[in-house]
Amino acid sequence: MSFMFDLYVERPGWAHRVDPRVKILFVLVGVISMILFSNLFFMLAALITIQLLIGSAGVPRDRFAWVWKTMLSINFLIPLLWTIFYPEGDILFQFWILKFTPLALVRGLGVVARLDSIAFICFLWLFTTDQTSIVRSLVKIGMPFEWGLVLAISLRYVPTFYGLYVVVSEAQQARALDLTKGNFFQKLKSYMPILVAMIISALRTADKLARALESRALGVEGVERTYLHDIRFSRQDYVFSAVLLFIFCVAIVLHVLGVFTHPLYLIS
Amino acid sequence: MSGELAEISIRDLHYSYPPLTAQGGPVSVLRGIDLEVERGEFVSIMGPTGVGKTTLCLALNGIVPQSMGGIFGGDVIVGGLNTKEHPVSKLASKVGIVFQDPESQFFNMTVENEVAFGPESLGIAPAEIRERLAWALDVVGMSDFRDRSPFHLSGGQKQRVAIASILAMKPDILVLDEPTSGLDPIGKFEVFRVVQELKRREQITIIMVEQEAEKIAEFSDRVVVMHEGKIVMVDGPSVIFSQVDLMHEIGLGVTQVSDLAARFNARSGTNYTFTLFEDAYDTLSQNTDRRTATDFSHPAIDGATCERKSASLESSNLQSPISNLPPPVIQVRDLWYQYTDDIVALRGVSLDVKDGDFVAVIGQNGSGKTTLVKHFNGLHKPTKGQVIVDGRDVSDLPVGELARTVGYVFQNPDYQIFCATTREEIAFGPRNLGLEGDELEERVEEALAYFGLTEYADSPPAVLGFGTRRKISVAAVYSMRPRVFVLDEPTTGLDWKSTMDLMRVIRAMNEMGHTIILVTHDMKLVCEFARSSLVLRDGQVLTYDDTRTVFKHSEILKDTQIEPPQITKLAKRMVPFGMSDDVLTVDEFHTVYVGRRRG
Repeated sequence: MSFMFDLYVERPGWAHRVDPRVKILFVLVGVISMILFSNLFFMLAALITIQLLIGSAGVPRDRFAWVWKTMLSINFLIPLLWTIFYPEGDILFQFWILKFTPLALVRGLGVVARLDSIAFICFLWLFTTDQTSIVRSLVKIGMPFEWGLVLAISLRYVPTFYGLYVVVSEAQQARALDLTKGNFFQKLKSYMPILVAMIISALRTADKLARALESRALGVEGVERTYLHDIRFSRQDYVFSAVLLFIFCVAIVLHVLGVFTHPLYLIS
Repeated sequence: MSGELAEISIRDLHYSYPPLTAQGGPVSVLRGIDLEVERGEFVSIMGPTGVGKTTLCLALNGIVPQSMGGIFGGDVIVGGLNTKEHPVSKLASKVGIVFQDPESQFFNMTVENEVAFGPESLGIAPAEIRERLAWALDVVGMSDFRDRSPFHLSGGQKQRVAIASILAMKPDILVLDEPTSGLDPIGKFEVFRVVQELKRREQITIIMVEQEAEKIAEFSDRVVVMHEGKIVMVDGPSVIFSQVDLMHEIGLGVTQVSDLAARFNARSGTNYTFTLFEDAYDTLSQNTDRRTATDFSHPAIDGATCERKSASLESSNLQSPISNLPPPVIQVRDLWYQYTDDIVALRGVSLDVKDGDFVAVIGQNGSGKTTLVKHFNGLHKPTKGQVIVDGRDVSDLPVGELARTVGYVFQNPDYQIFCATTREEIAFGPRNLGLEGDELEERVEEALAYFGLTEYADSPPAVLGFGTRRKISVAAVYSMRPRVFVLDEPTTGLDWKSTMDLMRVIRAMNEMGHTIILVTHDMKLVCEFARSSLVLRDGQVLTYDDTRTVFKHSEILKDTQIEPPQITKLAKRMVPFGMSDDVLTVDEFHTVYVGRRRG
């Protein structure tokens, strides 16, 4: 999957224009709200809403499909395990020592809807914010620039090191290294040539990278770093933030009142 | 030259790297360098692999010694700043370095952010960064790529972005450390065009480390030749390249026309100095009467004559026609290979590799060269079609089994090197094939001796120089005694002598009966060593014939951007003066030219 390491989709969507800091706030408010409630209908409504939000932001269908595919096994396993291990209320039918109860199924489905919603909330952020903006926003919030750079570089080198792994293992196999033979420990041992060659290459790369960073004037003393694209709150961003904070307050109040906290009923 | 005016002033520079191993001492690299470079000058640096060219470049912006440690003596003054007294990050605005490997110079997700990174570090105002960005991308011709990811560009484009990201810091001095050594012909062409543009348009001092003599001759005001940590010659390219023997002794190549001049001077008592293509053409065409020439030009050198002529030359094995060779060791039938749904690397390739042949595989990056040859040892399995190696279908065979028949040397030696000693490294392959005891030891000793590596037998290969690591990686495959050797760009990053040494060993292996498949971008090597040439374009075979025929009809290579060697082009241009149009080497040119004149 080519977009596994960089989820960003270049689109002229509304969510792309929102300040990345607002999107971080959105993720925080969204995730906390999802944790505060456990009503299945609320969860499903939230899941549909977030899907609509992502769709309206212009994220293509294959990204949705990818998220759903990633979540698929969890979506089946959780309701199944929940009904098996947490039977609750009336028994629908019994098989050996396993009791299937509707309430447990509802709870399981609620958890699935919650996890899916949280996943899509995070993906809305990652699909519509490029790595530079993510790092820039984190730095703006107070993270040191060097940390942000480290984060960006680590993200950037994931595919490089994966590529390195592929080519090094091919190179060693070409010298008749057999990676399939023997038990677990023998197999582990046969990966040593790949690991060592990779570490040596990675160290060389790190060395080159350090030289390149220095040559690009990183860390000049007494100079404050400027930014070509500095992120700035627009009026729209203030509105969005206000709305998010309002939603957050409402969520807290509802939680305290016990609304949407029962898996099936409006009030516990 | 007055020291006051000099942009760069290096005085008695000595430098040793910190020890590489716990037992070792400091590694002395630069041993007394003195050099002054004036503002706006274009100076090229040549020297054998490991002589300290990169170290000298790094000394110009203070990375040596500030980040590398080691023992530093003497002074380097750039734009009035002593590199010992100012931090690297500050010197970066005076001296910009573009490194050999474009991949490891990028840390941003878009071209725009990449180019802006330097100016941002320098605290330049955003409005000015925008101006610099537009200018720098314009100079390198990458303005249309602002929003693209630098990692998804071609090699040449990447290196152009790397140049732009240095230019955006507006340095007074631009250092290019072998900027094209890892690139394919198109990439090289693109980068050199940018260098030419910079020389023409901008008042910038340029220091370029390069192995390609033809390009050095074209661009440089002066050439610095380094040997054993010292500068042994500094002069204009025509003076430097006229000293062919001395250059070869140091281990460096010259332009093919300079080589030709030396051959004329030695054998025909002339006094030629050719530095550029035009020098040779003007002189030689004036010396040849076009009218007389036509008398002997029409029996346009037939195959047989040519064969006889070259039989006495060094490259004697060139001419045997393919049909005389034994049956094929590799058969490829309608081979298709698809990486993903939309990336089809090979589209219906069919060919035979004759046993004992020496085949060069050429084409741009992305033309399918590596994908094709990876089928020969089973690293790739056909999506469609068939690959038969030594009578067996590769689809059914594991890589480890095919390794007995097909040895594969990867482009970067560091992909293969992992052992604590060179001896163990070379023993790894044969041991995997089941060899042990005396037989194994014998093989290893033989390989060590064959590649001249005996003195490094007990050293850790990872800390040896690049040229030695390259030899080790070839020796490690040689010790497996495969019938077929696949070598993927084995000469990248090597100097002239190391290249020639390696190629001679490869030719000797071929003469011992091994089939050689050489993937390369170096057409001089193809013309000098390969019997057959396979040209790929967009995953298809463009042409596959004996090398002489391929280069005789080099017009079909035109849209692959593969340029024939300088000497082949010179011969073609001189066809109206009686030259043959299928000359491949300097020796051949000289022989044919002299033969023609004698009539």
